[in-house]
Amino acid sequence: MARIQFESVRKQYPNGYTALENLNLEIADKEFLVLLGPSGCGKSTTLNMIAGLEDVTDGNLRFDTEVMNTVPPHKRDVAMVFQSYALYPHKTVYDNIAFGLKMRKFAKAEIDRRVRDAARRLEIEPLLERRPDQLSGGQRQRVALGRAMVRQPQVFLMDEPLSNLDAALRISMRAEIKQLHQAMQTTFVYVTHDQAEALTLADRIVVMRGGVVQQIGSPDAIYERPSNMFVASFLGNPPINFLKGRLGQTPSGLVFRNGSTALTLPPQAAQKLAFYDGREVVLGIRAEDVAEEGGAAGDACLSGRILSVLPVGSDQFLELEVAEAKLFFRVGKECRYREGEQARLAINLNRLHVFDPDTTDNLLWA
Amino acid sequence: MNKLIPGQRALLFIGSLLFSLYVLAPIGWLVSSSLQSEAEITSVPPHWVPEAPTAQNFRAIFQATDEKVTYETRKQGDTATGGFIPSTAANLLPSMKNSFIVALAVVVLNLLVSVPAAYALAKIRFIGRTTSIYFMLSTRVIPDIALVVPFFLFVQKLGLMDNLLSLVITYLAITVPFSVFILTGYFESLPDELDKAARVDGCSRLQTLVLVFLPLALPSLVAVVLFTFLTSWNEFLLALMFTQTPASQTMPIVVASFTSDFNISFSFINAAGVLAIVPPVLIAIVFERYIVSGLTAGAVKG
Repeated sequence: MARIQFESVRKQYPNGYTALENLNLEIADKEFLVLLGPSGCGKSTTLNMIAGLEDVTDGNLRFDTEVMNTVPPHKRDVAMVFQSYALYPHKTVYDNIAFGLKMRKFAKAEIDRRVRDAARRLEIEPLLERRPDQLSGGQRQRVALGRAMVRQPQVFLMDEPLSNLDAALRISMRAEIKQLHQAMQTTFVYVTHDQAEALTLADRIVVMRGGVVQQIGSPDAIYERPSNMFVASFLGNPPINFLKGRLGQTPSGLVFRNGSTALTLPPQAAQKLAFYDGREVVLGIRAEDVAEEGGAAGDACLSGRILSVLPVGSDQFLELEVAEAKLFFRVGKECRYREGEQARLAINLNRLHVFDPDTTDNLLWA
Repeated sequence: MNKLIPGQRALLFIGSLLFSLYVLAPIGWLVSSSLQSEAEITSVPPHWVPEAPTAQNFRAIFQATDEKVTYETRKQGDTATGGFIPSTAANLLPSMKNSFIVALAVVVLNLLVSVPAAYALAKIRFIGRTTSIYFMLSTRVIPDIALVVPFFLFVQKLGLMDNLLSLVITYLAITVPFSVFILTGYFESLPDELDKAARVDGCSRLQTLVLVFLPLALPSLVAVVLFTFLTSWNEFLLALMFTQTPASQTMPIVVASFTSDFNISFSFINAAGVLAIVPPVLIAIVFERYIVSGLTAGAVKG
């Protein structure tokens, strides 16, 4: 079992490109940690460094207390699942799964027991004699999982393992990976750019961008209290709406104004934002934090023209034009607005986010 | 493949038939004339199918090893036809052995050097990686004739004149860059993730190469083996420079020497020619399956 620790780790490639700057991260034993970010944000580099596939340029990488910087991958007790599965094309499914154990000189009987056990759990027993090119994508993914599972490693690494699967399969595999984590009782580090995967699987999420960690926290914390505009916009579907405006003190409290829009902020938010009286801010409104007006007070409503209505089965997306900004909201099916109509939507003021336009930091949860 | 209209199919057939004839005719004549007597070879019009096939030419080659051929005894080999036996005929079989030794040594050493080099160039990122690939490849744009003099001085200084080693060393200089280039391309076509998977699974770099990459690279390994074998087997220029006695002469040199003897025996030369193409043809037949897939390299992605 292992705790993984990055101490001021920097990674620079030979071509001069800096993939990671000063990464400080502690991954607890048996934790399910998800590294989330757009491509090129350094998440895969981080994973490869844990595996030993990339060198650490500066700083220390520790497993428990031991510094691992120069330990080659085959001497680390980690297993990895890749996006392209990376099965050995010339070996049967059985040999693919057994390979890691053979390399580590396990007894034949033990290898056989583990391979068959994993195959049973992943329901790929009938495929053991086949070769990878005779398998479907989902089956290959199971074999790749099996190959990592049988090793019973200290650390289980996954690099976008579900990205090549179709949508339905992805959701069922997500559930299986979660079960696998519970069954294996080992540290999982999972890389993805898919927010839904991150939110469902993670104990903690690390949001990264351009080699810099943006926020570390539980899925709930990341979603409810994003530390900056990037994190806020990376999670949520449709993405969070940003509305620029100015704060001003009025008798009824602190008010956010943009053209004809005026929203009175709740007292606890107003308290935190007292210093920003008269300054420009960016308001973040999650797509789902609205409702049809239903008699809400005027200082808690957004008015605008409906540009489009997009039904998505269970809900519908409304595109609302407010003060030249286009905002997307998710509302229930019962909402009767039509394209071109004027609409008034009540905002859940307690769930607003306020950001500094210059630093992009969240001013409420800083 | 697209559907062909009937006329197209016939045209394609005729076209490929003509091309095959063009390629195979010289070889057909070589084989046919090796079974003819000197008189029949020179008959007009030539006989494509021998009228009186004879194995005398081949018998002469194998007898020549224990007979000293001089001007006086030159006609003894081919008694049936009164043809001539070249004075250097006895060198033919030893030279074939020399050719084999050189070719095998070049094939083995070439693989030992180029396989790890290609793996490193394809899968390990280091400074100067692409530069080294291009540098190695650029050595191939220099014609061999330009290298003869430097090679000659170098071989002479090392005291390797008239020694098979001189050929092994110089042939490696010619074959290694090209082999590295072919193999690097192939290894690059295999996904990086395969390399990572193997290393996480417990392979050292060397084990990754041997256990995962080599089995997958079989087609291009065969292509490289064939290329190096044929290059060494057929090489003439350098062998002519560095070998002076039968101790180190290779087959092309000895066969060529038959054309500058007291008299020229076409039948004997042709029989020697047939012997010279047997090993490459055998190898090609054995590895035929892999040669085809070697040409479609990169199709075996994981």
